[in-house]
Amino acid sequence: MSPRSYSRRDFLGRLGLGGAAAIAGGYGLSVWEWAGPASATTTAAAGTLGDGAKGRTLVIVELAGGNDGLNTVVPMNVGAYHDLRPTLGITDALPLDAEIGLHPKLAKLAKRFEQGQVAIVEGLGYPEPDLSHFGSIAIWWSARGGSGQAGWLGAYLDGTVGFDDPLAAIGIGPGPSPALLGTKSFATTIADSSGLQPRLPAWLDRPDDLLAAWGKVAPARTDASTLVGQVRRSVGLTVSARKDLAKSLVNPAGATPSYDTSATGRRAYADTSVVDSLALAAELIRSPAKPRVIYVSGIGDFDTHQAEAQRHPELMSQLDEGIDAFFAALGGSGDDVVLATVSEFGRRPVENGGGTDHGTANVHFVVGPSVKGGRFGEPPSLTSLDRTGNLVHTTDFRSLYATLLEGWLGVESAAVLGDDFPTFPLFAH
Amino acid sequence: MSRREQISHVVRRASMGAHPDIVAGLDSVDAAIARVLDLSGTPPQVPIGAPPASIDAQRPVEIVSTIGWWLDQMRASPRLIEERLVWFWHDHFATSIAKVRAPYLMQQQHATVRAHATGNFAELLHAIAKDPAMLVYLDGNGNAVGKVNENFGRECLELFTMGIGGGYTQHDVVEASRAFSGWVVNVPGRRYSARLEAFGAPPWHSIAIPQRHDSGSKTLLGTTAALDLDGALDVILGQPATGRFVAAKLYRELVGIAADDEAATRLGDAFARDWSIMGLVEAILADQAFTSPSAVRSRVRTPVEKLVGLVQAGGATSFDLGIVRNRAARGQGAFGIGEALRSIGFIPFVPPNVGGFPGGSGLLGPHQLVHAFDLLQVFDAAPVVPDDTDALFARFGLFDVSRGTRRVIDAEDDPGRRFALAAMSPEFAVA
Repeated sequence: MSPRSYSRRDFLGRLGLGGAAAIAGGYGLSVWEWAGPASATTTAAAGTLGDGAKGRTLVIVELAGGNDGLNTVVPMNVGAYHDLRPTLGITDALPLDAEIGLHPKLAKLAKRFEQGQVAIVEGLGYPEPDLSHFGSIAIWWSARGGSGQAGWLGAYLDGTVGFDDPLAAIGIGPGPSPALLGTKSFATTIADSSGLQPRLPAWLDRPDDLLAAWGKVAPARTDASTLVGQVRRSVGLTVSARKDLAKSLVNPAGATPSYDTSATGRRAYADTSVVDSLALAAELIRSPAKPRVIYVSGIGDFDTHQAEAQRHPELMSQLDEGIDAFFAALGGSGDDVVLATVSEFGRRPVENGGGTDHGTANVHFVVGPSVKGGRFGEPPSLTSLDRTGNLVHTTDFRSLYATLLEGWLGVESAAVLGDDFPTFPLFAH
Repeated sequence: MSRREQISHVVRRASMGAHPDIVAGLDSVDAAIARVLDLSGTPPQVPIGAPPASIDAQRPVEIVSTIGWWLDQMRASPRLIEERLVWFWHDHFATSIAKVRAPYLMQQQHATVRAHATGNFAELLHAIAKDPAMLVYLDGNGNAVGKVNENFGRECLELFTMGIGGGYTQHDVVEASRAFSGWVVNVPGRRYSARLEAFGAPPWHSIAIPQRHDSGSKTLLGTTAALDLDGALDVILGQPATGRFVAAKLYRELVGIAADDEAATRLGDAFARDWSIMGLVEAILADQAFTSPSAVRSRVRTPVEKLVGLVQAGGATSFDLGIVRNRAARGQGAFGIGEALRSIGFIPFVPPNVGGFPGGSGLLGPHQLVHAFDLLQVFDAAPVVPDDTDALFARFGLFDVSRGTRRVIDAEDDPGRRFALAAMSPEFAVA
């Protein structure tokens, strides 16, 4: 795909981000309220991708803000790295081979790498990199510039389960991830293990029956051409997802939410830590619901313009703990699970004094017992930077998606991604 | 569409609530527009305590009293459009206490936003760029000559002025950031506080330190000069994209649908002549599109508007938010409306990121839909509302309600359940 065919404005526009209008939503976009009825622009019509691999789960962990890949997978012996990072450069990385080492706070992941369960995919990016958080994450969400209204996993859902199973895909976080947004499918979002149980006031009569009554605002066939109609449809699907979840989660109505309620510090916002979110993900995978896709969004604050020396190690530590606890909780059922990280971009190779500004190409992990560990892609050069002083990507990020779609979810990737991309041989089977 | 629904549309778009009592007293769309624009009432003054002695003397959670105060202004201030604009600018110049930490700085920023909300955009932009909370939030505080930090520079161009795709380049981001360098905040209790005071910055104030400023020549958006912060902002304000982007964003906030290129250009270029915010608001409200059928119910109602609207529907005369109300004594666990807003991910002063609060389908996830019920905890007892279904919906500012929704309400006898289901109706989920 040539750089020109990346019509990102078009996708941004469809997501309500583009043009002069509505950046306001930030990560929370506006699609349904203006896009009108779903059009037939996606190539994958409901069901056309077949069923895909059964019984497997893909977990995507989105590191929000742009993770510093150079301080995550460290090019230990590259002189330019240490020149560009005189104060922030990692000098005590955990060596994985003669060239790269993991951040010292990723000790458990390093151990997993030794066991051959971690694939490291290097140099991921796309042409004409967008240094905007919102512009770049929209590219990662959509995976196909220009020709779809859906997120890449939404397109996968459109082509497989459609509206039939509201628990096939679950977003963990307060709001829905655009990556899961389909035109002919629905993804549930939950943020805590109470499983879509409201906290109703005591004065409500017959509270157990209230949500069933609420569900009746959604008739069997809703007219989704209006915003009210779309709300009706969402209410109906929510009530049905909630019923299924109630059978699945061990922590039913009235459960204490797993997030910190002290309203202090960075966790004042409802995003949970990666540890909490992945614990919930593990619970869902072990439950009868067993989703095909789990998308953990808005994890952490990886936008380390400042105080990176303090903040980034903490983020690495949480990621390490979260991934480790996740696979430990899954036990033997982890064989059916693959976890992959994504982020809108990496960070600038040269430090800015206390942190790093927005960058481009990045490195990501694919983790799980079924993964054939090792290094994939190609590390970008630290001596031939682009004119903004950023890394030049070596590998289209959609190769990562294509690998996950074909190698793990068992569907043809071109129909989802709009084009063919080389895949990495990182699955053992 | 009924005239009453149209009148209610005008009121809910140009305010932050449903205001059923105001809607009931209006008999035409023109009267409604005149009412929402009326700024003759006394402007609310943000209650701000004495400056804390140090950053550690206050906890971030203390911002809840200001959140409660603010929500009560949305409920009761007679200056309707002002409340909509205060929210709009908070969302536009999104700043979170999660990073800023000091409630005092958030209160100061809120006072600055209120002072300019219905005033002049250029003055607001200049004030926000030097605002201590913003300097902390987007790292202006750490932006110095030789150590240029691009955080504020990029978001200023991308989110606050020209907009994504507005015609600036990465080079402009760097040059703007150089021009913005040198501003610091005197945070008492932190290193350098005493030195900054000696430089002339009292505690909690910001100041430009010449030694930290990059005084060299910059070329920003085609203008070459030794620009400083104010100079760079003026260059950015001189770009046609700035007026058009901000005008289109406010248009979308008020009309609910995107402005076409013609409207964005017309409104934006007029806006850029004097940066009068109320001039722009009046032009948007006068546009046919504002009261057109496609504008009505084209926005997802935010959780904050939902909360304010349902408090108004229940006829509460004060706004005991229960934000930190501890219900443990009654065996319900510690839970308040703050918890409900947190669960939904929508707390004033805590935007999820610099892009502001979610909107549209970003608010229609199952988790958010279900936990909107939690907002009903704002009432200690079932609110006393009319038995008649039409009269009940009128309390929520809803007049044209579908048969399907009415059937759900009519099937219920218990007044509390009728109120709860009306509050969670699809019609009330949009605005």
